[in-house]
Amino acid sequence: MLVFSQSLISGLLIGGVYALIGIGLTIIFGVMRIINFAHGDIMMIGMYLTYNLFTLAGIDPFVSVAITIPIMFLFGALLQKVFINRVLNALPQNQILLTIGLGLIMSNTMMLIFTSDYQILTTSYSSSSFRLFHISISQPLAISFVITAGITALLYWFFMKTDTGQAIRATAQDRDAAQLMGINVKRMSIIAFGLGSSLAGTAGALISPTYYIFPQIGSTFTLKAFVITVLGGMGSILGATLGGILIGVAESMGAVYISSGWKDVVVFVLFLLVLVFKPSGLLGKSRA
Amino acid sequence: MAINTKENKAAGGSFITTGTVLSLLALLALASVPSVVSSPYTLHLMILLFLSTIMGQSWNLIGGYTGQYSVGHAAYFGAGAYTTMILLQHFQIAPWYGALAGMGVALVVGLVVGSICFRLRGPYFVLASIAVAEILRLSAMNLKEITNGAEGILATDLPPFSIGGTVITDFSTKVPFYYIGLGLVVLTVVVTVAVQHSKLGYYFQAIREDQDAAHSLGINLSLYKNLALGLSAVLTSLAGSFYAIYVGFVDPPTVLGLDISVQIVLICIIGGIGTIYGPVVGSLVLVPLSEGLRSNLIASAIFETGIVSESSPVGNFLKENLAHAHALIYGILVVVVILFMPDGVLGFAKKLVSKRKGGRA
Repeated sequence: MLVFSQSLISGLLIGGVYALIGIGLTIIFGVMRIINFAHGDIMMIGMYLTYNLFTLAGIDPFVSVAITIPIMFLFGALLQKVFINRVLNALPQNQILLTIGLGLIMSNTMMLIFTSDYQILTTSYSSSSFRLFHISISQPLAISFVITAGITALLYWFFMKTDTGQAIRATAQDRDAAQLMGINVKRMSIIAFGLGSSLAGTAGALISPTYYIFPQIGSTFTLKAFVITVLGGMGSILGATLGGILIGVAESMGAVYISSGWKDVVVFVLFLLVLVFKPSGLLGKSRA
Repeated sequence: MAINTKENKAAGGSFITTGTVLSLLALLALASVPSVVSSPYTLHLMILLFLSTIMGQSWNLIGGYTGQYSVGHAAYFGAGAYTTMILLQHFQIAPWYGALAGMGVALVVGLVVGSICFRLRGPYFVLASIAVAEILRLSAMNLKEITNGAEGILATDLPPFSIGGTVITDFSTKVPFYYIGLGLVVLTVVVTVAVQHSKLGYYFQAIREDQDAAHSLGINLSLYKNLALGLSAVLTSLAGSFYAIYVGFVDPPTVLGLDISVQIVLICIIGGIGTIYGPVVGSLVLVPLSEGLRSNLIASAIFETGIVSESSPVGNFLKENLAHAHALIYGILVVVVILFMPDGVLGFAKKLVSKRKGGRA
């Protein structure tokens, strides 16, 4: 029972960060119907940003989130403006290939700069943990979970209450209708890609104290992000949140009850099952 | 959707008669290369070109002609490569039989993939195909007793190839590999041409143009998609087996990684999908570029001494740091191609030519 609740808790904590990655992907998909294959690579850039802020300027990874968010937002907005906007009406395959290409450029550029060596960001609390009802909880994961929850709450407020948030939702619902209502759709797309990137970058920042940092880490997380968003239903923010937590728990249970080598297989098998039996996802509406 | 694909179709059908003559001449010229050129590096480059063409042409059947963008072709490539190596190392079964077994394994994998993934369309199909390849890669990492896990399998020696007692070659030079590669290129091209001009090919293209219309005309979607995938999987596994015996080493990231899947797609995209010449042009662009980049940096020395030294500590270090950096050029190329020449280099060149002639031919 203790093992079960232990792995449940650690799954929930890491699931929070996964949710952040998934929400970023789902916002981009919702607004532009583009599957961003560079999502994990954008997250990887967030990790390196955090790593360098820590090693060069000595800024704590959780504090540097405040810097990472705006920088990654600008990075995403730039990507949208320069590249993605040009293929909005292209074949879906070409959109996918473009983002794959962008991801390749990101990971290989980082590799040329920082080599493919694994970097470790060690803070004073990296391996420390505290106990709650006999369950040991990793301190960096707990902090990142709290920050994740805060960001998610802020996002809900943004999408529900602000004009821009509502305009983005309108664009996601019906691009043409939104344009007819006087919404600047291109601008909303730029904001959406910026938001998605900053969420991915933030997730990268939040896991950097607990994960190895290397240029090729992106593809693993891109795949995870797909699994999360498809599981929750493409385009649904609530679904991505749920999907992230589910995947986090499935992974940590898989690692405990099967083996850590097979835990990703568990995730992908789950993914295929969802694709086959409920492709619209757990919370998604059926596709048109 | 229609605008892009129509052009591909035209490109596929148009210059076949002159093409046949030219292809035969090219084949003659290619067959005589080893007797004229003795530099192992040139032969190595040619072999890489062949390998790349085989991979691209195989993907073309499912991705280009049938319009199902599989980004999980590493699954079949790896199935061929691993089956051949496992049979060779564990059971001393000669690689040509291993390659046959690999085709069988790839076919089975392809049918499983087909039965799962062809219920899905567009991006969902892409994602599912990636997921299957990843499951295979992770399995190869974890099934250590069979696959040797992350360490991979190193082939010690290839048995000499003999027919009825007379030894034809003992694989001591690159020449036999050159001819095997050339033979496989001819095989994949012939299969593609045959398919393209058969009823099967028309069904494939009908599915690509409009699935629902094809379905309403009585084309059995899942049957023909599975046929296309099966054919593509079998040919891709041959490329994998060829790679395995040529390089003599397989490990999960190099034969089952997402990089391989992406690379296979890029060969076609850069050349121009759904055309016979697309994968050839794509290979002619990609292989020299990435090889040039690689050798320009440091690795030319390694390649001149041959593949074996890559497994030495120094070779390993270089490989780890350089082998992926050349992928940067892939990334840049694909972005440029998608943004500026969505029909690939071949389509772009044709457009230029027809513009110069004043209007479209």
